[in-house]
Amino acid sequence: MALNVTLKIFRYRPNQPARCDTFDVTVPDAANVLDAIEQAWDKHDRDLMFRHACHHASCGTCAVRINGREKLPCIAPVRDYLDGGKPITIEPLRNFPIVGDLVVDVTGLFQRQEATGFVITRPTEDSLDGKRVDHTQCLAPASAAIVPFNRFENCVECGICLSACPTMAADDKFFGPAGLAAIQREVDKTDDPNARARLLDLADDEQGVWRCHSAWECTEACPQNVNPAEAIMDLRKQITARRFKKLFAR
Amino acid sequence: MNLSLPENKRLRFLRWFDFRSGRLGMIAYILNRVTAIGLVVYLYLHLAVLSILAGGPAQWDAFVQIARSPLFLTLDVILLAGILIHGLNGLRIALTGFGVGVRGQKPLFVAFMLVAAVALIAGALKIFAG
Amino acid sequence: MGNSSAPHVLVIGAGSTGSATAHDLALRGLRVTVVERGEIASGTTGRNHCLLHSGGRYCVNDKEGATECIEENLILRRIMPHALEMNDGLFVALDEEDYAFKEKFLAGCEECHIPAREISVADALKLEPFLNPNIKAAVQVPDGVFEPWRFCTSFLATAKRNGATIHNFTEVTDLVFQGSAVAGVKVFKHRTGKTETIGADLIVNATGAWAGTVAAMAKVDVPVVPTAGVMVTLGKRFNNMVINRMHKPHDGDIVVPVRNTSIIGTTSWRVTKPDAIEIPQDQIDKMMQAGELLMPVLKEGRQRGVMAVARPLIASANVDARDFSRTFEAFNHRKQGGAAGVITILGGKTTTARGMAEKVSDEVCAELGVTAVCKTRETPLASYRMFYN
Repeated sequence: MALNVTLKIFRYRPNQPARCDTFDVTVPDAANVLDAIEQAWDKHDRDLMFRHACHHASCGTCAVRINGREKLPCIAPVRDYLDGGKPITIEPLRNFPIVGDLVVDVTGLFQRQEATGFVITRPTEDSLDGKRVDHTQCLAPASAAIVPFNRFENCVECGICLSACPTMAADDKFFGPAGLAAIQREVDKTDDPNARARLLDLADDEQGVWRCHSAWECTEACPQNVNPAEAIMDLRKQITARRFKKLFAR
Repeated sequence: MNLSLPENKRLRFLRWFDFRSGRLGMIAYILNRVTAIGLVVYLYLHLAVLSILAGGPAQWDAFVQIARSPLFLTLDVILLAGILIHGLNGLRIALTGFGVGVRGQKPLFVAFMLVAAVALIAGALKIFAG
Repeated sequence: MGNSSAPHVLVIGAGSTGSATAHDLALRGLRVTVVERGEIASGTTGRNHCLLHSGGRYCVNDKEGATECIEENLILRRIMPHALEMNDGLFVALDEEDYAFKEKFLAGCEECHIPAREISVADALKLEPFLNPNIKAAVQVPDGVFEPWRFCTSFLATAKRNGATIHNFTEVTDLVFQGSAVAGVKVFKHRTGKTETIGADLIVNATGAWAGTVAAMAKVDVPVVPTAGVMVTLGKRFNNMVINRMHKPHDGDIVVPVRNTSIIGTTSWRVTKPDAIEIPQDQIDKMMQAGELLMPVLKEGRQRGVMAVARPLIASANVDARDFSRTFEAFNHRKQGGAAGVITILGGKTTTARGMAEKVSDEVCAELGVTAVCKTRETPLASYRMFYN
């Protein structure tokens, strides 16, 4: 079965007025909104700019706003948006400079992520069936030792949380939910007290965890269940505990 | 590291009040900002009112008469509502910052707002009765 | 750093091949410009099942492809260790026919130097609790998982560090000729709406499944057969290791775990046009059924994403697309009587992208009379985030 949908896509180039273009596309029943955007590009306008790569919520490039809400269109089924034939509105993320159409400049996000030293892999800690499997004997000669199963971090660095955050909207110097969540992950992963102190210093800043005003929008919007708001609260707890310890150590 | 926007930067604070998500966390966020601004405005009004004292006992007594009018008492109730909402919401945010109720931030908000409502009703009765 | 007197090479396409080629050439000291019509890895590389091949999949029928895979697999573990999930893979026999294939499989692994170890069915089930409990045998091989976009941006970030210039959303509209040789490209910059000409001493066509389009501009033919495959991503991760069926590559015979999902792959059909391939429901159903044989639990998995894209396979006469070799080839069109100044790199897999880059860069250097040698085997890559710097 095929679905007929209308997309209303935000169009913009620097120094030109923004507008919305409407595209009618036909997609298979199993299609996601990203497939519909790609059809609009393929069949109607080859100048439509949008970011996409993996089409399975792993790269984080395709993040946009669908009907106002931040989503990864690669995992947003078109059939969830068949609201009586109303057009599906596609807009770029907020709080980023727009490069063109749906493409935003994510440089600020990646510079923040890099500043945290966030490693995109981690040891597997959640079991698949309740029985924890910790180690495997890797066969590759480069790693002859027994190493733990590893996996990619849940965060795909899509920028959705930065777009959803009302504090970010008002203050672009805020470090942002993704970066703070990354710091919390690294604090969690490290055994080195110096590294831990350095990470907490980074978060313990006017523009760090203390700039967050608890709207919980990052956690609500995150497509990967990263829960940045909880990470920020955890960092606040750790930083407060550290300050108390310093206070009474003297 | 700037995530600058193509629109007027000075008006960006308006996004604090963007109601688009309608989720509880965002409602709490907006309430906190609205009540904060209200309380700041009240603070200055309060100072202005206190300056009436400089005009002597007669002026002050005249003001107290106005302050007992139902309109003024209603404003007092609104003030109390602002204090309760902002104070309790602040307590909730402080608690989550200590790791308390992070998973339950929504029930925590609802619970605190119920407390605020009960206290507000009690306070309003007292204000209008007194 | 880009030496201003060094020859200038223009790479068309920023998928895995183009990205790795830009890195290789920049490391050899050449001036490099990459043009890509869309986002990095928005073509075949992106919609990939993310398998860092051990070569096991091809070790019986395509020894050349398998040997390339294991060599590159071991190199990538050294140069981009932080961008890989390294949990190995299992090849499992589901029935007697698969079991009979085991000896061939183990012999193939040995011949292609793929480390392989048979483990007991009980151990396999302990490692992978959701595996079909009726499997007959299991062999562990060093499969892994990469993440396509970060794979490409890691190469590009390193290329940038070494002086390369990368233009995405920059589409080649035509080639510029000087006499009978290609001397540059005309590009349309989607960001500005402007058309520009970029001159180059040599052009590398790394457009994979789209190689035919660029080749047509140079009035040459390339034997590319865009062959589509569909993959389904589930809402949950059901396996730690890559689970393969121990038989000749077939539809739905592999489950690759990535991050918090499991990806079932893949089917194979020829397409005429590689853009925006529509996903046939019957292909999805067929593949899900095959995947459920490996891991019955997949039935319960919520379908999270579906993707289809064309592989850039090299045609061989009288062979079905599924059986085309996964090896790669650099075509210097001048040597084949076509236009000078363009080299097309075809075939291969993301796993072998670095090897493909080495091959085409060797050809580029030979053509330009540059003696620099390949150093990508031992050069660790920069963080993918440095692409934005």
